Amino acid sequence: MTELSRSAPQVSPKLGWLTSQTQLVLLVTLFALCLLISLAAPQFYSVDNIIAILRQSSLVLIVAVGMTMLLIAAEVDLSVGASLAFAGVVAMDVTNKTSSVTLGVMAGILFGGGVGLINGLIVTKLRINSLIATIAMMMMLQGSVYLYSREAVQNKHLQPLFTWLSTGYVGPLPLPVVVTAVLFAIGYVVLRHTTLGRYVYAVGANEKAARLSGIRPARIKMLVFIVTGLLTGLVGVILCSLMNAGQPTAGRGFELTVVAAVILGGTSLTGGRGTLLGTLLGVLILKVIDNGIIILRWDQDLQMVIPGFIIVIASYLDLLRKKSNAS
Amino acid sequence: MKKFAITLLTATAIMAITASATWAQNMPKKIGYVTNYATHEWYQNVIKGMQDRAAQLGIEFEVRDANLDVAKEVAAAEDFMSQGVDVLIVTPVNEEGVVPLVRRAKEDGIPMVLEGNPVKGMTTMVAICDYDTGYHAGVAAGQYAKDHLGGAAKVMNVGLPLLSATVLRSNGFMDGLKTIIPDATMVHDLDGGGNPDRALEVSSAALAQNADINIIYGINDSSSQGGLQAWKAAGKSQDNLLVVGTGGEGLGFINMMDNEPSYQIEAAMFPEKVGFTAIDAAVKLFNKEEVPPHIVSPTSPMVGKDSWKQFYDLADNKRTIKWDAVNALVPADKCMKTAADL
Amino acid sequence: MQADRSLAGTPTEVSGAPAVTMTGITKLFTGVKALDDVSLTLLPGRVHALMGENGAGKSTLIKILAGVYRPDAGQISITGKLADLRSPRDALRQGIKVVFQEIALIPEFTVAENIFLEGYPTDRLGSIRWDRIRADAAALFARIGFDVNPDDKVGNLPVSKQQMVEIARALAHEARVVVMDEPTSSLTPAEVAKLFDVIRRLTALGMAVVYVSHKLDEIFEIADTVTVLRDGRHISTKPVSEHTHETLITDMIGRRIDNLFPRARGAAGEQVILDVEELSTEKLKGISFKARAGEVLGFFGLMGAGRTELAKAIVGFDPITTGRITIGGQLLQPHDTRTGKALGIGLLTEDRKSEGLMLDLSVTHNMSLASLERFSKSGFVSEPSEKSAVQAFVDRFRVKTPGLTRQIKFLSGGNQQKVLLARWLMRGLKVIVVDEPTRGIDVGAKSEIFALIDELASDGLAVILMTSEMPELLGLSDRIAVLAEGRLTAIMDRADATQEKILDAAIA
Repeated sequence: MTELSRSAPQVSPKLGWLTSQTQLVLLVTLFALCLLISLAAPQFYSVDNIIAILRQSSLVLIVAVGMTMLLIAAEVDLSVGASLAFAGVVAMDVTNKTSSVTLGVMAGILFGGGVGLINGLIVTKLRINSLIATIAMMMMLQGSVYLYSREAVQNKHLQPLFTWLSTGYVGPLPLPVVVTAVLFAIGYVVLRHTTLGRYVYAVGANEKAARLSGIRPARIKMLVFIVTGLLTGLVGVILCSLMNAGQPTAGRGFELTVVAAVILGGTSLTGGRGTLLGTLLGVLILKVIDNGIIILRWDQDLQMVIPGFIIVIASYLDLLRKKSNAS
Repeated sequence: MKKFAITLLTATAIMAITASATWAQNMPKKIGYVTNYATHEWYQNVIKGMQDRAAQLGIEFEVRDANLDVAKEVAAAEDFMSQGVDVLIVTPVNEEGVVPLVRRAKEDGIPMVLEGNPVKGMTTMVAICDYDTGYHAGVAAGQYAKDHLGGAAKVMNVGLPLLSATVLRSNGFMDGLKTIIPDATMVHDLDGGGNPDRALEVSSAALAQNADINIIYGINDSSSQGGLQAWKAAGKSQDNLLVVGTGGEGLGFINMMDNEPSYQIEAAMFPEKVGFTAIDAAVKLFNKEEVPPHIVSPTSPMVGKDSWKQFYDLADNKRTIKWDAVNALVPADKCMKTAADL
Repeated sequence: MQADRSLAGTPTEVSGAPAVTMTGITKLFTGVKALDDVSLTLLPGRVHALMGENGAGKSTLIKILAGVYRPDAGQISITGKLADLRSPRDALRQGIKVVFQEIALIPEFTVAENIFLEGYPTDRLGSIRWDRIRADAAALFARIGFDVNPDDKVGNLPVSKQQMVEIARALAHEARVVVMDEPTSSLTPAEVAKLFDVIRRLTALGMAVVYVSHKLDEIFEIADTVTVLRDGRHISTKPVSEHTHETLITDMIGRRIDNLFPRARGAAGEQVILDVEELSTEKLKGISFKARAGEVLGFFGLMGAGRTELAKAIVGFDPITTGRITIGGQLLQPHDTRTGKALGIGLLTEDRKSEGLMLDLSVTHNMSLASLERFSKSGFVSEPSEKSAVQAFVDRFRVKTPGLTRQIKFLSGGNQQKVLLARWLMRGLKVIVVDEPTRGIDVGAKSEIFALIDELASDGLAVILMTSEMPELLGLSDRIAVLAEGRLTAIMDRADATQEKILDAAIA
């Protein structure tokens, strides 16, 4: 370590390039994937397919915006998959009972927010590690959703507005994609340009230092848990609309997809490091792979294998980059 | 509970009148059932069928849930045996794990009925025929395509290659379809994981690639729903589409048949009837009657909008099976194809 | 060549060949020379001090001796025979034991188990003879006069005892050379005395000891010979008797520092800015004192006296049980850092890494953390004004960094400390609490930090200095307060203070 300080100046002129290198690698990977897939299957570039990819990506990306903030704040939420299934069940049920799409959507989103609030309380007040706390929450939600409803809650209300939430268009773009773009932009600005964003990084990079600087880490974490919860609730509603049913079994493994995308995007599990731009690229890469495997008619088991492989490679490249950065 | 009591009362009444044939048999006092996953809709309905039938016959009936855990399953079964149940019904969590259990039951002289899947050394199993179920739905789909889709059949199979049962359904469907439309093709063979969100996701990609798909087959209701919703999300009209679901274990297919114009065929498996048949098999075993190694529980395609009403009543978001209609179905003696033929 | 000089400086009564000779050692890290043609000769029964600023190459040299790194050029011979040290285990087998700053023991194992970690004696059946291990460990401790129970779990021992266990490991392996890397950095004076006692016993047993330290006083007390490295090069090897403080510092930093404690400020003002009344916490008992604008109030105390606890309590970081803290006439209530900051008190922590720095973040983000509101409008940070404020402090404090976006982990300890100090000054404080401000900082950078502290006081801040370094305390403070076991035992003007008086109060 002591040798580092002396050699540091020699690397400095390349600094700007180096910090964005993770994203550059991801961008090149994304383009290469698109190119290779479309060479083998030209339908990849069909409007239908691009919209299908964007719609699937948007579901993951909305939650990933919150998850990126959580990981930067050195916390994680593994209950998002279970929470989104439950939120969808609640949204459909409330819409069925009240015939009000607004109330149903609100109920779903607030349910997610409530789960986030409880996660936040468990982590900040009881000081239970968030990995453990949210796995426990996942188990509780997966179990209790069956207490709430034994089977999928079907669409009885037949409100066209409810279906429009997932299949509607704003101009040429599907509504979920537009919603995602707006949320992503807000998240990006908050993380990059606001004091709140800075505090999220600070709390994750060094919680004690943040507290000594007059910041209240518990509040920041709480807020990020709630935001993640609300976003999860929203995705639960959209997915429920898309499936036309509140499915208790939905969202299995969703949390892993989200965390994988965020990590692939260069966000550190140990906190303090990460960008939403990286997350966006991470999500798109994973979803293009998912889509490409079907388009190419490869064995669908590869949909798990290849992303796993890519995460290992990406993490290793990141490590190499940090090493070369250090020496 | 109240409902259950009423069922019990009616059942006793029916028993007095109609059960003279069964009276000839000796009735076991108590039957124990170890299910593998009670939270699933399918098993909920299997249990419902068992309860109904046991009540009709005046047999005490108890269920334990293994919750997908072999160790739990074995423990529950041994518990039943030491309690002294007369017959044991087991849905194996996995085939190998239950083998010692089958052996022990034999040694102790406790008759045992397997539900769903065969186990080495068993006496008998009650199950539907997956291939046949798909096959008959395929034939019905062929008819429908001939009448309404101009005789074209480009199938997207929202499948689950992991399980032999679901592969048999898909194979049966295609084979049945080809008896009517010989040049039917499976354009896409997908792994939808048997759950709706995954099914929806993979279907979206497949539909984007192949615009000529006109039949969606789902190996269960979640899969067909996922496929159909992907179709709708892509903004396509349902005019020239046929969706075929399989299972009919919950309310989902009823809702879809009521509201989705393309959802015309359901390959119904009547889980309640499986439970019903399993209890009857248990009684036969108790009386040391000769039984085939595979007792087939009947399935049938429901075709057309209101076809489900032939077999089910719907009230208060609860469905009740119409036993008369279902019991009138004649089961095959044996399956056309089984996992051994794959 | 240096080897000869070192031999020449060795008193004649020491007989025997060198235990270890390193000649012409060169080590490159990605093209940068961390060590350039360095030689070192270690004689049995002698304490050889190795000195130099951070980055001088001491650690690299030790790690080569420990078998962690392999040199790119040069030779190592052990008792005259050419040796190749492939790993720490290999080095230990060849008689070289290094006690690093980070203790390398297994906390869950007992003392005895740790000592014989490299190979437990077994009986014919292959089962480990725990009784023998325990007996051997006890015998070993008796030989060098350690007061440690072989059955204690290492994780439950204080650092000083863990260090003893590490040294005992060297003995258990019949090491010829023991290397100690900054062994006193976390010891109390009493423990240091005990350590020196042990070192003397080791040399009496004929061992060669390499002693790495920043602390000049210790070198003059314990070492026989001193080798100074600078920028990876060998500067001098001399008997310690030929050195003075000044010549050593000059060798280390390559220039003279005339006055380590410059004083530019005038007398302290009269206005009381910090008023602590009957403050108690779990650790502290009824502490009261006042601090005035423009004064440096130094707190001295031995390890565990409660300095850090006091520092953390008065800024609102740690909870208090009773007492009142008034800053600039306003009560610190509620008792948290947010209120503390608002009233104008801040802490420069003793533990930079775990409580101060955000290692992965830039110099800018590290520096502006406590004053972001100042650069923000309705929650949005104005980056240009932030940047210019940071640049101003980088210039004023002469922070050596290639750029404001550089991750702070790549800066030296002294420069990191300046950034953290700037974090508070940018915010504008009335009271700053500095806890061990020069821990792990080079001599050169130290004097800069001292100058900055002086500057703060002259700007009218009250500076509360927590230190265990007597020279620092005496050099910087206007008044001196002494803590012992959580109580304030004395408070005196600098003019009245002597080392004896202070130590007296600290032991009371």
